[in-house]
Amino acid sequence: MGGKPDTFESVDWTETGGRLSTLSRRDRGALLAGLALVAAFCYDFVVVAADQPTITFPVEWNVTQLDWLFVTTLLALLFYVVVPLYGNRRLTAYYWREFRKNRMAVLSLFYLVAVFLIGTIGPIFLEQPGLALERAYQPPAYLSVDSTVPVNCIGEVVNGQCQGTMEHPLGTTGDGKDILVLIVYGMQVSMKVGLISTLLVVTIGTAVGTVAAYGGGLVDEVLMRYVDIQLVFPAFFLYLLLTYLFGGSLFMFIIIFGLTGWGSIARLVRSEALQRAEEAYVTAARGSGAGTLYVIRRHLVPNVSNSVITAATLLIPGFILFEASLSFLSLGDPTVPSWGQVIANGRSDLSTAWWVSTFPGVFLFTTILAFNFMGDALRDALDPRQER
Amino acid sequence: MSRSLLDVEGLTKHYPVTEGVLRNEVGRVRAVDGISFTVDRGETLGLVGESGCGKSTAATTTLRLEEPTDGRIVFDGEDVTAYDDAALKRFRRRAQMVFQDPTSSFDPRMSIGESVAEPLRVHGMRDRERRRRIVGDLLDRVGLDADDMDRYPHEFSGGQKQRVALARALVINPDLIVADEPVSALDVSVQADILDLIDDLQSAFGLAIVVISHDLGVVREVCDRVAVMYLGEIVETAPTERLFEDPRHPYTRALLGSTPIADPRRRGQGTRLTGDVPSPSDPPPGCRFHTRCPEVILDEDYDIDDETWRAVLNLRLRVVGEGLDLGAARRYAATGDEAGPEAVDPAAVKAAIREEFGVPAELADRAAESALSTALDRVLDGDHDGAAERLADAFPTVCRRERPGLVPSDTDLSATEWAAITELRAWVATLADASEEAVLDRLRDRCAEETDREGELDRLAVRAAFRLPEPLSDSDAERTVGAVVDSLLTGRADDAAAELYGTFGSLRESACHLDD
Repeated sequence: MGGKPDTFESVDWTETGGRLSTLSRRDRGALLAGLALVAAFCYDFVVVAADQPTITFPVEWNVTQLDWLFVTTLLALLFYVVVPLYGNRRLTAYYWREFRKNRMAVLSLFYLVAVFLIGTIGPIFLEQPGLALERAYQPPAYLSVDSTVPVNCIGEVVNGQCQGTMEHPLGTTGDGKDILVLIVYGMQVSMKVGLISTLLVVTIGTAVGTVAAYGGGLVDEVLMRYVDIQLVFPAFFLYLLLTYLFGGSLFMFIIIFGLTGWGSIARLVRSEALQRAEEAYVTAARGSGAGTLYVIRRHLVPNVSNSVITAATLLIPGFILFEASLSFLSLGDPTVPSWGQVIANGRSDLSTAWWVSTFPGVFLFTTILAFNFMGDALRDALDPRQER
Repeated sequence: MSRSLLDVEGLTKHYPVTEGVLRNEVGRVRAVDGISFTVDRGETLGLVGESGCGKSTAATTTLRLEEPTDGRIVFDGEDVTAYDDAALKRFRRRAQMVFQDPTSSFDPRMSIGESVAEPLRVHGMRDRERRRRIVGDLLDRVGLDADDMDRYPHEFSGGQKQRVALARALVINPDLIVADEPVSALDVSVQADILDLIDDLQSAFGLAIVVISHDLGVVREVCDRVAVMYLGEIVETAPTERLFEDPRHPYTRALLGSTPIADPRRRGQGTRLTGDVPSPSDPPPGCRFHTRCPEVILDEDYDIDDETWRAVLNLRLRVVGEGLDLGAARRYAATGDEAGPEAVDPAAVKAAIREEFGVPAELADRAAESALSTALDRVLDGDHDGAAERLADAFPTVCRRERPGLVPSDTDLSATEWAAITELRAWVATLADASEEAVLDRLRDRCAEETDREGELDRLAVRAAFRLPEPLSDSDAERTVGAVVDSLLTGRADDAAAELYGTFGSLRESACHLDD
């Protein structure tokens, strides 16, 4: 620039005018992280044998397909929720002030953060409980049960009552598995189910909705008619069929319901994006020479994100509950200790060992409730119609 | 540079009205129906008219934010309607738009700095720091603070946002800015500030500006020239002062009359407009303004005053159009009469109809009265077609028969001649920078059907191709056009353009039969 002051008249437009990159620095960061992840996955898939752990330090961890998906989801959350919130501190502070007005929601948020952290980190350090029949039916700590219920009471037996111990604070199942550990594993399962499926649904739904709204005409027609068809597609029966053929698997559950459940989000996003596309700022962007992709990425997606986030917080508990129901009906993944499965296992023992079903049930109930509370509060805090 | 920066010729935008699953076109909304105007560098053109007259569509179509149905937009010697995507993007850098609603023109999720820098980004400036320096400097110059860059739109007032909007339009250093109602959403006190800013920016950067407004005060303040629009057409263009001092078109007069004037000597001069603006999907035949015009020409020589004639015409238009509501007239005539609406005296019904339209009980002119009376009798007999025919015969008007074209006021040119000249002007403008061979090639293409058997290109062929009769009705125009055709035949399109814009650029025009 030769020391000239930078003003708009001094720009030589023949020297600039390269292709517009729609990727922001954040997008590039996410892209890099994603590529690293793909490289790691390829390494695991090609180099490391299937039954060997992927990493041995700091802990031994054989990363499964589901784990890869989960890590991808967490990265997406990091780059597209946490980083923007941090980068936009004043807006974040405003949202927090609005959100804080709802006390139950704040409580729910803390509870869910705790569930998320324990569920994500806990299983790395806790070994998955195995069959230990000599420890079956131990009562929770500070509680007692008739000594005939457990095969072998670990705690003291007082007046014919077996006392619970801190060794198994929430007792054990009929297989002798520690319920607390099962609940921690169940947290991980629920978080995986809720977050991964929702991310799939939200990503596809937002992409389809915005493209349909902005593309209009034939694009809109084709996409939305496909959505109509997909909404009547019986994903549940497909899942049943595949379970019958290949056995239940959590990965399959997430993929099937994640890839077929985005219809309603696409509709929501489309109707919202149709309104946004009429705003003058979109015309202004087009008048500056911006292309379709740029307008969708920079204007439409950010402006429909509030509705999408709110809808997502209400989608997550739906997926969790659905997975629990299927597990309860023994249609889930038998190798994964989900809450629904533990509840199902304990239902025949309700009269003698009530704790087996009750504790996971309580966690399932509170988690779903917390998501619903948070969704309501988020809708109030993020409602774009109330934006100043 | 004698050439206009922007020359819009015959610009048309029709929206199809579709019906059913197959999207059959059942009609067209003629939002903009063949308008022509020019804007010079450093000039401000005002586009005024009532709501729904197509001003905003004219703006978006001119910038090709919407595809024009027909017409030519010549920007700095290039035909914008023929642009491909890449050329269109280059054009976007040179022509920007400012919108009416300052709130909706900014993305609530972007900081002001990002919004203003957006055009820079879109046009490939990747250096973020440089963008910020430019935006900071520009915000300073439109009267804001460089530190405002990181604030969000909702933290600004409407006037401030409109300053930011101007900054966004300016940031890529355009040659043309189209401002669609730039101040109508603002408080009156803020309006003046923004208009001053527009004026300052224009003189500082030599911008060509098109200001679209329904507010004549705004137009008078900032514009050098004004084009008045009515129902998708331009009815008059004139330098601002002359338009306000001496409006030629009845619609302009009515528009001026509708704004209060703080001058007691001119009180009561305003003419009032009656009736609603007709729908652009079904514009009236002939002059589009004749359904509301206070000065409709009556061909026959009757002894009736203007007001009565207007009333009779309204009655006639109703009979021809939707038809009279006889039931209502009967009920009105029957008020206070025991006989009831069905048995009421026909004379009373006729009187009621006359009263409804403000037509006197008896016209002063015998011939006119007899025609009107016969027509009303036919209406009462249920013969609407007959009544319409009788009225049309008795009260013929050129305003309904013929569509007046825009004609320069101080020449003897006819509307078709003038249309041909503007078409030639826009065509020549696209060639001004071309080489002699290229000009001749294009000319040969254009005149291919008119050249004689040997394929010889001559004066007659050119004039025939552009529908220019020889000689033209106006001798000055004839001289210029003759010189232009000669220049073209030697391939000197720049001389031709200079000649055309020198003689025919920004002439005063008006489209009304009263001028004939």
